[in-house]
Amino acid sequence: MNGRHDISANQAAANEGNPNIDRMDAPVLDQKIQDAIGRSLKAHYDDLVSAPVPDRLLALLAELEAKEKDGGS
Amino acid sequence: MAADQPLNSASLVRTAPKPSFKELLVAEIPNLRAFGASLSGSMHVADDLVQDTLLKAWSHSGSFMEGTNIRAWLFTILRNTYYSMYRKRGREVQDTDGIYSSRIAVPADQDGALDLADLRIALGKLPEEQREVLIMVGATGLSYEEAAVVCGVAVGTVKSRVNRGRNRLAELLGIQRSDDAADSGSTVSVNQTVSPVLRAS
Repeated sequence: MNGRHDISANQAAANEGNPNIDRMDAPVLDQKIQDAIGRSLKAHYDDLVSAPVPDRLLALLAELEAKEKDGGS
Repeated sequence: MAADQPLNSASLVRTAPKPSFKELLVAEIPNLRAFGASLSGSMHVADDLVQDTLLKAWSHSGSFMEGTNIRAWLFTILRNTYYSMYRKRGREVQDTDGIYSSRIAVPADQDGALDLADLRIALGKLPEEQREVLIMVGATGLSYEEAAVVCGVAVGTVKSRVNRGRNRLAELLGIQRSDDAADSGSTVSVNQTVSPVLRAS
């Protein structure tokens, strides 16, 4: 947050009154490039998502649930 | 509608939403790991983060508001955990099992996608405030608004960070012109440069 303030202080002053320009402190990329980056980000993330889940995480939730049922309220 | 339903304490107890809450959590584990790995740069760290996140989510299930995006809620917990506990130890994006540095070849399975290994290296060079929002908005299905809540900043700030992050990625990948992109077409803007001052501090 501090960083952003420093970075854009001059620009924000120059663009005062125009909220769009104020936020657009970098050029807008060509749509095709944006799309290519978007697809790649998705491919990167989906690859991580598809990794097999370790048993210990599932076991943890099963344990929490069992404890709750046991202990009841 | 709900006002018409008799709400006695017995039914509240019996229909406590915990079982389905557990299922919701189980369903989100792969996304939590992927987001944790994106923040930390390590799948091993991500697993510890997810474990902490699940424990906190479980004990604070009452603060989850039905009807809101549970993924955004869980991401908030995970992200806060990461920045308050993990990052303090001086763990910047690290390369223990380095998702941002390994040159493991991953096939780009979608037409026009950039080389994944290159993308990951470039992602690893982004300021984390840009990387996290790019991932959230670009890949996890969160809206700008939800990402803003997760990060505790204004929506405009998220948009600005996404924009800057995307530009920086394009610069790092050398695809500032459309005919550099995998799917070539008409060249639009030739000299797109990203100011080097646009760097998070």
